[in-house]
Amino acid sequence: MPQEQESRKHAITEGTAAQEQKSEQKATEASTGYSDLATGLDSVLDDIESVLEDNAEEYVNHFVQKGGE
Amino acid sequence: MPQLRDSRSRVSRSEAHPVDYSLRRIIGIETEYGISVTGAERDPDPGTVAMLMFRPVVAATRSTNTYVRNGSRLYIDVGSHPEYATAEARTPIDALRMDAAGELTMHRMAADAQTVLRREYGPHATVHVYKNNVDSAGHSFGCHENYLVRRDIPLDMLGREFVPFLVTRQLYAGAGTWDADGNFQLSQRADFLDDAISSATTRSRPMINTRDEALADSDDYRRLHVILGDSNRSQIATWMKVTTAHLVLCVIEYAVHHGMATGFEGMELADAGAAMRAVSRDRTGMAPLALAGGGTKCALEIQNTYLRVVDRFVREHGDDLALHMADAPECLELWAKALDAVHFDNLTELSTWVDWAAKLRFVDSLRIRHPDVSMAKIRQFDLDYHDVANGRLYDSLVSHGQLHKMLVDSDVEKATVTPPSDTRAALRGAFVAKALDTPNCTWSADWTHVAASVDDHAEAELLDPFRSAPTPEFQIVMAVLDAAR
Repeated sequence: MPQEQESRKHAITEGTAAQEQKSEQKATEASTGYSDLATGLDSVLDDIESVLEDNAEEYVNHFVQKGGE
Repeated sequence: MPQLRDSRSRVSRSEAHPVDYSLRRIIGIETEYGISVTGAERDPDPGTVAMLMFRPVVAATRSTNTYVRNGSRLYIDVGSHPEYATAEARTPIDALRMDAAGELTMHRMAADAQTVLRREYGPHATVHVYKNNVDSAGHSFGCHENYLVRRDIPLDMLGREFVPFLVTRQLYAGAGTWDADGNFQLSQRADFLDDAISSATTRSRPMINTRDEALADSDDYRRLHVILGDSNRSQIATWMKVTTAHLVLCVIEYAVHHGMATGFEGMELADAGAAMRAVSRDRTGMAPLALAGGGTKCALEIQNTYLRVVDRFVREHGDDLALHMADAPECLELWAKALDAVHFDNLTELSTWVDWAAKLRFVDSLRIRHPDVSMAKIRQFDLDYHDVANGRLYDSLVSHGQLHKMLVDSDVEKATVTPPSDTRAALRGAFVAKALDTPNCTWSADWTHVAASVDDHAEAELLDPFRSAPTPEFQIVMAVLDAAR
């Protein structure tokens, strides 16, 4: 399963880098605003624009589940 | 202040090392799915939708309670929940494969049901099947994990040394949710659980259910039924919650069997329910939790203690663990990174695999683009993320690389018809596949039995969940089916 192995390798290599950056991270996080937050999310927001047109109250209130466990 | 780790463990194999069977385990995940329909000309009740979903199952088995080709259980539970319980897995990655196969199965059943539904309820009727844990009215339903442990592990010890781990793992295992007032929580289950450990089942919601039904030789084993967890969409989160729990149990079991201390002493919580609710409302992981022995520790401190002890254990017992789970070091790596990310409030890092963080980061961005977005809309996206039938947010996050997967789609596809090869599920799966393909056959299965009647009748007990080799009894059952084909 190539993707499986790849994601693990990814996690390991990033681990070392994350350790090194740790001290700087706090400062960076504090100064980030929209640009960091929305990096890569713009396309997601575009994808879900049509969901915004639905009636949210109706959608949410339709989900009532009883019983279980 | 949580300690930061700078060393990484690796599993090493030495020669001629005896196998420690006390570290092998059977793992299972039971998931209750919620149902809703929107866009219909009139409202069908959820029971109707569940029955439509199960029509093909009923046609094949004359029942809404069955086992499928991969050895897993598929059924309609009380309250019209479709439910899926994974076939027995020895490794977390196999448990994840089975769980993902369950999602895909639900997706397909929902798509078929929607086609039928639209004939009667209009062309816009849309079926939603939620892999989550709470509805709009505040009903909660569960995602239960099962871990087989040796019988000699004292339950009160699990309450003291395992529950604190479960309560604080929300930091990376929580699915996250917003209530109607807009308050965000890491866990969907925190407000619905009380006693830490109990034999009660329905009235109160204990975190660990000890109803003693081992589904194995009960002289040797008990099945630990953990009910405090959230349903995860993130494959990595599912794998992580099961892997970390398995490793913590390995440490506890090894210590009991060797008369040693675990290293988890002093973690016992004064009030596990209160701690669960406090952790769920604190994404910094720093809220003080009262300890049974006096004093306080925060969730990050508790998790870092578990991580440190497990890390040492994996380094010292890598030989034994590697036999059962070769990917333990990857879990430790990610565990440490997640705790660091919580500590540094690094939402971007967490959001690549932690469900609550993925949703929260998305909503933060949504609010920047649409400052007037309503709370109802946010709750809609919260539900949409968990909708395995027609949800858009989860798939969009994945396709744009914002949320990482662990399994390739073809692997999940294969897992819908392929049981784990090294447990009793291999036998059950082979039996179900053959029975479904045998005309005029009456058959039944449960976790520990299979039975078939065609011209002859035969049944077999499958008591050892670790055994994937056919027993003579099992071979007779299969022969009865073969004779009729």
